[in-house]
Formats: sequence, structure tokens, C-alpha cells
Amino acid sequence: MSEVISRRSFLMGVGVGAASALAATAVEPVRASEPVAADSWGVLVDLTRCNGCDSCALACKEANQRPEPDTVPVSLNSDAYSFVDRRQVVSDAGIEQQMPIKRQCMHCLHPACVSACTVGALTKSADGPVVYNDKKCIGCRYCQYACPFGVPTYDWENPLGLIHKCQFCISRLEEGQQPACVAGCPTGALRFGRRSNLLAQAHAQIDTNAGRYIEQVYGEAEAGGTSILYLSGVPFAAMGLPTLDSQAPSHYAEAMMKKTPVIGLTVAALASGVYWLAKRREFLAQPQVVAEEVTHDR
Amino acid sequence: MTAEIGVERRSSSAVPVLDRRMAVVLLAMMVVVGAVAGVVRLVLGLGATTNLSDSYSWGIWIGFDFGLIALAGVGFTMAAVAHILRRHEYHAAVRPAILAGLAGYVAVLLLLVLDLGRPDRFYNFILFWNPHSPLFEISWCVLLYTTVLIIETSPFIVEKLRWKRIEKLPRLLERIMLPVAILGVTLSTLHQSTLGTLYLNMPYRLHALWYTPLLPLMFLVSSIMAGLSLAAVVYWLAARLARKPVQPKIIFGLARGAAVVGLGYLALKLGEVIVSGDIGLALAPTRFAALWWTEMLVFVALPAVLILVSGRKSLQRTGIALMLILLGVLMNRFDATMFAQLLPSGASYFPHLIEWLTTAGILAAAALAWILGVRLLNIIEDDPPHHAGSE
Repeated sequence: MSEVISRRSFLMGVGVGAASALAATAVEPVRASEPVAADSWGVLVDLTRCNGCDSCALACKEANQRPEPDTVPVSLNSDAYSFVDRRQVVSDAGIEQQMPIKRQCMHCLHPACVSACTVGALTKSADGPVVYNDKKCIGCRYCQYACPFGVPTYDWENPLGLIHKCQFCISRLEEGQQPACVAGCPTGALRFGRRSNLLAQAHAQIDTNAGRYIEQVYGEAEAGGTSILYLSGVPFAAMGLPTLDSQAPSHYAEAMMKKTPVIGLTVAALASGVYWLAKRREFLAQPQVVAEEVTHDR
Repeated sequence: MTAEIGVERRSSSAVPVLDRRMAVVLLAMMVVVGAVAGVVRLVLGLGATTNLSDSYSWGIWIGFDFGLIALAGVGFTMAAVAHILRRHEYHAAVRPAILAGLAGYVAVLLLLVLDLGRPDRFYNFILFWNPHSPLFEISWCVLLYTTVLIIETSPFIVEKLRWKRIEKLPRLLERIMLPVAILGVTLSTLHQSTLGTLYLNMPYRLHALWYTPLLPLMFLVSSIMAGLSLAAVVYWLAARLARKPVQPKIIFGLARGAAVVGLGYLALKLGEVIVSGDIGLALAPTRFAALWWTEMLVFVALPAVLILVSGRKSLQRTGIALMLILLGVLMNRFDATMFAQLLPSGASYFPHLIEWLTTAGILAAAALAWILGVRLLNIIEDDPPHHAGSE
């Protein structure tokens, strides 16, 4: 799957990336200080432009003040909130090829982790980022089971460990900057903007570059939509992205949870009713008691 | 279980007493070892004392936790039978059940705290609310329902303390028992079903044979089935421990109830798999299909048939059937938590020694507390205070 990239190949990647970055400037980079649109911030990941230089993952580590900022991460963990996965892909011509894909929190429009979190430590901010409050978290790790992308990780080595995940660089966004990974991408494979704009651009790119992309924007519908969107020349499943339907994963659970007060009141009423019936049956089973009560009333 | 009720006295001679003491000593040792292991876990953290990982994040603590909640459904089931359905013929089985419920829920709380990454913040669900979260609702219900169980257990203790000042307390407690029982049944219905809802947030992780929007109902029904089964088992155990005669009709009646609920559960599970079109998955030769059929046939259908066919003849056969039901419900919760989970490639888990020791210690503590309760309190009452219609 993935391999550790040496320092040299990393620097080479940066060089190659800088050249291809010029090609990407056709689309104006968007900044977070733009007027707030109705929809969320997003990132469009164009896998056909990614050369696997790992700059994004290293920029991420630095921005999040993770230990060992120079070591290229090979998985999501409490020290790396994003990483570049490597997948063996066989092209139409039958040539096996290693292809990179940046992975991080997808910042779902209807995040299951937020729905599941026992104490509300995970929240969906109005602007899109799914953010984590490490002061509330109790470490139950339910978010790890709810997330269909396997994103939240737990700090197992810490006796008082917490959950770790990408925060969409929310503090950078608030300062009007792009997320660190986007700012660190030299090839233009990562593009920051409003989700609806990015979607429109993605579809335009598919339409105008016949054969370059498969005709699907990953994240447009998956899991009810995600803020991170992917364009790819090979099937997304081959790149390790899960095949998900368009229903939010928390759909059924939330529908049930909303019924909690109704279920509670119904059960209490039913239980009281059954008690009354049982009591009445006993009462009717003893006619002599009825007679006594009647004479008593008179 | 033996059918020879008449030879009760003879069987409690010197050797079984010694065995009982041995059992108690063994349980106590398990508690001590478990407590030490628990301290080690709290000091060193999850990474050093468990084999859990990001791809296998819940292990036997959570498996036993959710399994125990289902079995501890014995408390609300019998409170409903006694106080709401007013089936006085089961009176003798109510106290052992309530006590088992309390022991079970305290064990659940201990296991839950051990599993938390931040056990020091276990109370945060009281401070920070997320009403969408199944685990939030479960936490609250378990907290409140444990309180209900303490109130339901309190008469057993209060009647033993012959203090002048609390002379009126037993009567007061008796008066509030009906609303408390209704509250207990309501809280239990909510969190037993919400344990099923918990898995609805994992449509891509829980195998389709288990995943269904009907999971909340299935969890509730199976907890009632487990509750009735455990009620019969703990009644028998309590009567033996207290050296009181066992009333076989109580055991047969509860077992029959468990079997009928079990057949309903079976119909629900089978019907769902057929209607949803997942029957193909059940017929495919996979590990998941094997697990699912084992749950359904060995641990639900077989015991239900065993109970209904053997009728009121063999306590032994009924006892085996009841144990099968209890194991089956435990297995169902373990399947949902561990064995029926679709894992990321490369994920594996075998519990760490500390996980085994702490789990064994907590289960032993619950058993020991229950045994001590039966020995010290009037759990199998000498003379039932109310027979049918005396109120």
C-alpha cells in the first residue's frame, strides 16, 4: 500500500510540483476571508495532478504542531491528521502503477461522528469544518465506529489519551488563510473554496477534459455529501475510498433518537394502563369485595 | 439443576458447603486480582494494557458491557412482572432478580469506566449533552436506572435494620414501588432499545445480517428474553443458597415466558432477513452466516423448543435451555460489537491479559455481591407479604 518516502524523493517531488503549479493557476485560489457563502468551505482534490510529494502531509503536521514534523506519515494517527496513501492501480492498458491519494477528515455535511459523540465533543461548524473539543471528550471512541472513512484516531500511548483528527485548520480559516495542506500543495492538486463552486468547477473539468477523469465527483453525494471532494482518473474504490450511498450514515440512528421522548411517554402510559387492567382483573375476580365496597358507599 | 426437590436437605451436607466456600474464596481472589489489574490499567493507559487499536477499538470490555446490560434486563423484566402485570405467583423470584439487576448494572458501570480513554472525565455526559447520541442516552438511562435499582433493593436492607427512626420507611418504600417500577421499565425500554440504535450509526461496519433499522426492537425483545431466563436461574440459585425449597412452577413459568418471547424474537430476526432480501447472505457459506445461524438455531430456536416440548417435566433440561438463551444473548452482543464487524484490512484483536483479569474480576465482584446479598438479606422471603388480591 504505502511506503516511507525518502527525504530526497520528497524534495524532488516539491520541485516537480512547483513546475506544474503554474499550470494550476488558471483557477484563482480562493481565500477564507471571502464573503460567507451559503454553503460550506471545501477542498477539491484532483488526483490526476497529485505527484505524491507529501508536502501537504508535512505542512499539516507542522500546522498542527505534531511531533517529528519532518517524518512523512504513512497512516492517520495521533501524530498525523492527514497522509498520502499509495495504491497499486492497474491502468486500462494493463500497466501496474502506484498512485498517491491524500487522505484526511472528509468534513461530512451530515457527520456521523458528530451525531454519535456521547458528549458533543465533535461539532459541525457553520462554515463546514467538523471540529473536536478535547476538553469534553471522554475517550469512548464511538466516533471511530461511526465514521465511514476511518478518520478519528485515538492516542493509545497516552494514559489519558484523546481523539485526534483534522480540524480543517479552522484557526487558519478564521485568520483568512487556506488550510495548511492546500497552502503547501505545489502542484495545484488541492484547491480550496466554497463547496458549491468547487463542485461546479469539478464538473466543468470533467466535461472539458474528455478521458482525463472518471465521470464522478467523490464526495458530492457520498455519505450525504462531504466538504472534501475528489476527482480521479481511476475508480475511487481502487484508490481506497469506500463505496458509500448518498444517505447520511447517521440517518436511522437520528430518526430513532428523535423518537426518544415519544417512546418514553408511550411506555410509561402503557405500563400504567397494564397495571390498571391487572388491578381491575384482580378486583373483578373477587365479587365479595365488590359487594362490600358497594354497601360501604351507601 | 436437579428435579429432586425432596432431597434438597441431603445435598447441602458437608461437601457442598465446602465447595461453596471454595467458590466464594475463588471469586474473592478474582476480585482482588482484577482490582490490581484495574489499577494497572488506569495508571498505564489503554495502549499498554489492552490490545485495542484504531481499527479494533472496542474489545471484551464493551462486549461484556453490552451483554451484561441485556442480561441485567432481569431487573426491569421482573419488576414489570411483579408490580405492573401483578403476577403474584412469581413473587418469590422478584427479589433475586432485582438484586441480580443491581449487581449487573454496577458491573456495567465499572467496565464502562475502564474502557473510557478518559476515565477521569466519566461524568462529562452529565455536563455536556448530545441528545442525538445513542451513547449519551444510554449513559443517562444507565445512571438513572441504577438509581431505580438501588431504590428497589433498599427495602431488602431497610427491613434488616431495626432502627426506630426509620420505622415508617418500609411502608413508604412500598408505596412508591409502583411509580418506581414504571420509571424503571420506561428507562430500561429506552436504553435496551437504544443499545440497538447505537449500531445504526455503523451501516458500513456492521454486517448486513445484523444491521437493520429494526435493531432497537430486536435488542429490547432479546433483553426481555434474557431477563426472564436469568430470573429463573437466579431464583433457583438464590433458593439453593438460602436453603429454601425451590418452587418448580416458578422456573417452568418463567422459562415458558422466555421461550415464547424467544420465538417472537426468532420470527423478527428471520422475517427481517427475508423481507430485506439479505437471506442470500445467510445462505452463503461465510463465517458471518455461520455465526448468525448459530445464534438463531443453537441459542434461540433450540432452547425455545426444548422448553416448550419438555414442558413442566425436567428442571435439568429447562436449566440447560435457559443457559443456552443467556449465552446466545451474550453472543449476539459480542457479534454486534466484534465478530460481525467488517474490519479494515489487517485489523486483529486478542484481549490483553489485563483485559481478561479486569473483566473476570468485575464479573466475580458482581457474583460475589449477589451471593453475599442472598446470604445476608431476606432475598427468598419466608412468607410472601401479599398473595393475589390482598392489597
